[in-house]
Amino acid sequence: MRILCLLFLLLCTAASQAQVTLSNGKHVLELTGAVSTYYNHRVLKPDAVNQSRNKDRFRLRDAQIQLEGRIEDKYEYELQVDFVDLASFSTGEIDPENPGLMDAYIRYKGLGFMDIQFGYGKLFYSRSSLVPFSYTPYWQRAQIVRGNVFSRRDVGVTLMKNFWRQRVNVYAGVYTGLGEVTLRGDNDPSGQPEYAGRIDFAWPARYRYRDIDTRHSPLFMVAVGLNGRYANKVLPEGRGFPSFSTGEFGLKVINGERYVYGADLAWQYKGFSGQFEIHQLFARPHLENDALLQGISPELTERKLYAGGLVAQLNYFLKRTKTILSVRYEELDLNDLVPGRSERFSCAVAYQIKGFDSMIKFQYFSILREEVIDPLRWTEQFRIGWQVRFT
Amino acid sequence: MGYLRCCLLLLPLLLLSAAPPKVPKLKPTRHIRIHVPEPSDICRNPLNNNFFVVSDDGILFEVDIDGIPVREAAFRGFDFEAVYADESHVYLVEEYTRKIRVFDQATLTLQRTVHLPYGGGRNKSYEAFTFNPVTGRYILLTEKDPIYLFELDTALNVVNEWDMNHLAADISAATFYNGHLWLLSDEDMHVIRLDPVTREETGRWYVPIINPEGMVFTDEGKLIVLSDDMERMYFFEISEM
Repeated sequence: MRILCLLFLLLCTAASQAQVTLSNGKHVLELTGAVSTYYNHRVLKPDAVNQSRNKDRFRLRDAQIQLEGRIEDKYEYELQVDFVDLASFSTGEIDPENPGLMDAYIRYKGLGFMDIQFGYGKLFYSRSSLVPFSYTPYWQRAQIVRGNVFSRRDVGVTLMKNFWRQRVNVYAGVYTGLGEVTLRGDNDPSGQPEYAGRIDFAWPARYRYRDIDTRHSPLFMVAVGLNGRYANKVLPEGRGFPSFSTGEFGLKVINGERYVYGADLAWQYKGFSGQFEIHQLFARPHLENDALLQGISPELTERKLYAGGLVAQLNYFLKRTKTILSVRYEELDLNDLVPGRSERFSCAVAYQIKGFDSMIKFQYFSILREEVIDPLRWTEQFRIGWQVRFT
Repeated sequence: MGYLRCCLLLLPLLLLSAAPPKVPKLKPTRHIRIHVPEPSDICRNPLNNNFFVVSDDGILFEVDIDGIPVREAAFRGFDFEAVYADESHVYLVEEYTRKIRVFDQATLTLQRTVHLPYGGGRNKSYEAFTFNPVTGRYILLTEKDPIYLFELDTALNVVNEWDMNHLAADISAATFYNGHLWLLSDEDMHVIRLDPVTREETGRWYVPIINPEGMVFTDEGKLIVLSDDMERMYFFEISEM
């Protein structure tokens, strides 16, 4: 199925290379796509159980088609699909980092004083999450922003406005709160939405959601962002959330009150760039025996818990050799009621054959420390592959 | 151990590219704010010392040497990316819609619209436009992926096409000055001088400006580079080129 999808995409792209944009003078429609594949070598822990598991693999990560349109200066829309993840959709589980349906929204720009976006797409929460994956040298996002602690996409309405020559951007929206799983169509018995907002400020000019300073900015540029989200979902007795909606760690949707807040910083200068991002989740489960409270007495937990993490990344773009070098450190604490946290170190090298449109990417990552409630089978990973975008 | 492997991998690449590219750098002597939102190109008004400036918002302005608007066209277009003016007309290029709008110089009213279909990327289309008096043809360039230089006759019909992809990462502006064709690259931050007939490169300079989208030469021996993101006009001495 995946191979068929890939062939279909390649055929479509080959046919469209001569004309990737259609226009009648008012309505402009652009067709683009992307394919990426990598080889993954995992260093497994030396115990007998692990030796029978997958150690090395090829993976088709992306097989995407994107339709992006604009009708005069009033409407913008986007439909982006990844066939790889659609093919595995039948299992019911949706990979939040790379869901089958990536975008399906309409943005109305005719109000003048603000833009309004309806539909399914990325939430304006977390700068790292907002950076398009193909603009990074890595094969995997940092743990905290992969969509297992908080959702990256959802259905809802977003209001957006920029000020001061796009140096200040403000976003606020209301969403289902079920994240990517909302695509399965199941209702949330609590009937409560999630609210999210973000504000970012850049100096001395607008700062795009990109990690790498490919232009070697002649001025020091910096951007800071603050974001938060809130949901208070209380399930009726005997009811549960839709399957997979709570995520891998049971944190994405909880039966109770949940705040997530974070801050981010990005800078770039003469090819060097850096990003720092930190998030904290505060949860107050409705039930005293909620599994998130780890069976600890309510007198001790006060029926609340914290989770969160951070990611720090440093990059340099070698303009002459068209190569990106990057190192990343990340921490993740899935529950403060359980001692310990996980730590990871990664480095990446990406060689640009033709900008970000054709790039060989290599990523190495190492587990420095594991969290007790999230044991892994491996200690190190190597991924190398090729990313091609048809734009 | 992990750190060590990583460093061993990164070090040779770092050394390999330590030397900077050998393109002479121009330093701006001063800069001023231009009072035009998201300015995307600039050209001389041949009838006076003013400039025509277009905005991403689809508005045509005439500004003075201090960057202050003195006239504004009533017409509202969409995503203007290039501008050129002669004694009787002002020519604007709309990137998204692939249209050239021709305005009357005196009244800034729309006189004619020419549609030049182009199937390239929605935001990688026509970005630069000027007139080459040596060949007697207008030139129209696409921004990137690929960079094409189209030659247009005086009736704005495309009569020739050249692949200029080897020249730069992208092209953001074009102008004619002192017997040469000049191009500006936003991503490379390069000003490139070309032979007007052969289109061979005859010179190249680095301008340390964020998001340079337009350029124009003045009779006073200045090169002005327009920054979209900074909304500024940067002044350079031509004598350094």
